[in-house]
Amino acid sequence: MDISRNAIIAKGLVKTFKKKARRKYLVGPKIGKDELIYAVNGVDLEVKKGELFGLLGPNGAGKTTLVKCLSTLLLPNRGTALINGHDIIDDPIAARESIGITTGGERTLYWKLSGRDNLRYFAALYGLSSAKAHERIDYLLEIMGLQEKQDERIEKYSTGMRQKISICRALIHDPLVLLLDEPTLGLDPSFSRFIRSFIKKDLNETRGKTILLTTHYMDEADQLCDRIAIMNNGKIVAVDTPENLKKSIPHDEVLEVKCVGTADFEGIGQRMYYRTENGVSVYRIHAEYVEEIMSEVIKAADSAKILSMNVTKPTLEDVFIHLTGARLTGESREE
Amino acid sequence: MFWAIFPILWVIPFIFQGEALVGGMNSPEFGELAGTERFVPFVLIGAIVSTYLFSSLYGMGGSIRMESYWGTLEYILGSPARKISVLMGKALSESISSTLFVATQMVICIFGFGLTLAVGKILPILLTMLLLVAGLYGMAIALAGVTLQIKESRSLVHTIEYLFYLFSPIRYPVGIHPLIASVSVIIPLTYALIAIRGVWLLNQPINALWRNIGILAVLDVVFIAFGYSIFYFMEKKVRKSGAVSQY
Repeated sequence: MDISRNAIIAKGLVKTFKKKARRKYLVGPKIGKDELIYAVNGVDLEVKKGELFGLLGPNGAGKTTLVKCLSTLLLPNRGTALINGHDIIDDPIAARESIGITTGGERTLYWKLSGRDNLRYFAALYGLSSAKAHERIDYLLEIMGLQEKQDERIEKYSTGMRQKISICRALIHDPLVLLLDEPTLGLDPSFSRFIRSFIKKDLNETRGKTILLTTHYMDEADQLCDRIAIMNNGKIVAVDTPENLKKSIPHDEVLEVKCVGTADFEGIGQRMYYRTENGVSVYRIHAEYVEEIMSEVIKAADSAKILSMNVTKPTLEDVFIHLTGARLTGESREE
Repeated sequence: MFWAIFPILWVIPFIFQGEALVGGMNSPEFGELAGTERFVPFVLIGAIVSTYLFSSLYGMGGSIRMESYWGTLEYILGSPARKISVLMGKALSESISSTLFVATQMVICIFGFGLTLAVGKILPILLTMLLLVAGLYGMAIALAGVTLQIKESRSLVHTIEYLFYLFSPIRYPVGIHPLIASVSVIIPLTYALIAIRGVWLLNQPINALWRNIGILAVLDVVFIAFGYSIFYFMEKKVRKSGAVSQY
């Protein structure tokens, strides 16, 4: 483990949750057995200092649990992790001082307090003096463009503005490591663009923060991250740069067919998956030679009306399907 | 204001009940058990002191519950701040509001029910109250820890509250029943109420306070150590179980 080069090191992290079997009555025998769920299953991870590292996976893959273990909110069953050289189990307070965290969801702030007062409270929790807190809050509100709204109650903020305050909170003590769990979840496109740009340009490139970003938006991971770990069922199934991950699948072309109605393309090409976008069925068919399957596709479309057929490059979602056989549940977003 | 008036409203039926049963405001039988025949001041002091019982049992656990509901609890537990400091901050806020309530109650009791309090008795009563509050907050810290895990702890708090009412001399002297007298020895409220009533109603000298204050101080240490151990244990448990993220 190279502490000098890596800001985050996880070694054999395991986190399980027990799902208790139900009882028919308040007392008495259980129906079935207690089940042990491996939310994080033997994760090894190294994130370099100053790196923007993505955790990509579908809902339930274990991304949030991993982030919560790294942030000391959850105690792992086995293994450990070092944040900026501090062990999350043996020295959690020092680890917490190095971390800034945002988790998804709007209800993580005091709605009856103003944006500024929320930040003042969390600054106190991180041990900032009043003067230092004042200085940091002014600075953060300015770069987020929230000075005019700073004295309004959070309940009057839009979802995007609340997320900006959440990011300000994560940055209040100027931490070296940021754990950003789905930072653009539920935001409209303009706020998403702002947050993405802020994460990439301001936090990572300009300030050199080490960022662990979880997302189930493949385009977000693709655009932002230096390296990506693909997670499924609590395990990391691949780690590399987005480009290398996309190169890792055996065919470098995918036929994307958009049509109205459903078509039966099963058995065509090597692998196929399907999603709907605004009522349009989108099929992505992987094949070694895409030209060879086009006539089969047109024939199989049958009653469905084909709107377009495009030969595209593999995406991270294609990589995910190639590696796991499942598909990411999050849709890519129109922007 | 509700919490200031509520204990008084709560106590009025007992005053009328006592008056109906004993046929007046004084009772020799009551005096044999309580050391004073003045039933009304006895119950009023119980009502005033029990304000701290209300606020401490409901305050800290309720506050943890609200943090959990607001989604801010994770950020508090994920911060490097010492959790005992955060709890003490909440306790301080509760103490200030409770003290304002008690002051309001005192005014109502003095002007409404003719309760008198000599200035020289205020300091020893305040000292006793301070020690009582410390012990009760030990219990409150434990309940805050339990709330981390079970979230809705109101049933448990209600049960503890009623046990405290049953086994301490808030409404009646504990000498009323041998079992109540036996259990009351481990409840800080017992010593606080005996000491405060001794000074306030029975005109006992300050020296007579020391025994009860000593016991109260020992119970404080026990309750605070117990409360913090439970909180520490529960905090670790919720970090293991994942209950910290649930609401």
